[in-house]
Amino acid sequence: MHEMSIAVELIAQLESIAAENGVDKIQEFTIEAGVFRGIVPEALDLAFEEISKGTCAEGAKMTLKVISALAKCNQCGLQFKPEIDSYLCEECELADVELLEGNDITLTLVSATN
Amino acid sequence: MKINVVKNVLEANEAVAQTNREVMDKSDILAVNITSAPGSGKTTLLETTISAMNSGLPSAVIVGDLQTTRDAERVAKMAAQVTQINTEGGCHLSASQVAHALQGLDLEELRLIFIENVGNMVCPAGFDLGEHVRVAMLSVPEGDDKVAKYPTLFQPADAIILNKVDLIDILDYDKSRVMKDISRINTRAPMFEVSAKTGQGMDQWYKWLKQQCNS
Repeated sequence: MHEMSIAVELIAQLESIAAENGVDKIQEFTIEAGVFRGIVPEALDLAFEEISKGTCAEGAKMTLKVISALAKCNQCGLQFKPEIDSYLCEECELADVELLEGNDITLTLVSATN
Repeated sequence: MKINVVKNVLEANEAVAQTNREVMDKSDILAVNITSAPGSGKTTLLETTISAMNSGLPSAVIVGDLQTTRDAERVAKMAAQVTQINTEGGCHLSASQVAHALQGLDLEELRLIFIENVGNMVCPAGFDLGEHVRVAMLSVPEGDDKVAKYPTLFQPADAIILNKVDLIDILDYDKSRVMKDISRINTRAPMFEVSAKTGQGMDQWYKWLKQQCNS
């Protein structure tokens, strides 16, 4: 249930965005989450609903986009799309990668009112 | 009103993790984050490791559990400095919990800090604590399919430990299946096949830890 920690951080960021922009209520927002984060949408919705109570983000509509992965082989530099259970570089036949995408959670768009 | 932002949702955790790393760097301490399922033997591994290495590399342990101080009490017999974090339901440690624990340790006395994460093969994988190296552990009684089932724990690991190898024959454990899965998921990490209980294979693990401390 790591979605709980993610929801806590998310709401803290929404609160600071609301304060910076002088708005009282967040209506909707979009988060882009890397596939490796293993976010279960229903679990994040539930955590968000509970933790956002009494904050500027209470009742806000969340759109979750899952971002696919991109890996770079540490041996030969080849960039490729790994599977969650295989990081094998087809050139080197080794699984020694840096994940360029697929691990981030980014808040990208917020809609708010006074 | 539309507000375009690009904000890393976990930036607060990552900033604290980076501060933790810098605090430990200043005291020349290596921090090792140990992740595994509950019951794979993290605490036993630490008991054996610390009693073998403590004279050369003074060690402290930060123990994460949902409840109880049982693991901390066990490790306290071996390590001079132990801090227990009870997450009270939280399924992983966070960087701020580790930051708080670091404040209670006498860092000048230490070369190694082991962070025993909450036993869980999913959630701890995604949260940087400020460690320098991450160890993913599995044990023979858990079955030989764990690497394939929980790839996100093993993919970023700097070392993989297979514990309780003294039970391989008793449990008909198919080690080749594990090795095949690791060959697709992480060929960078060295693998240590150990029994923390009997001491089998532990020397290679100690040697690797010493190398990490000196690098």
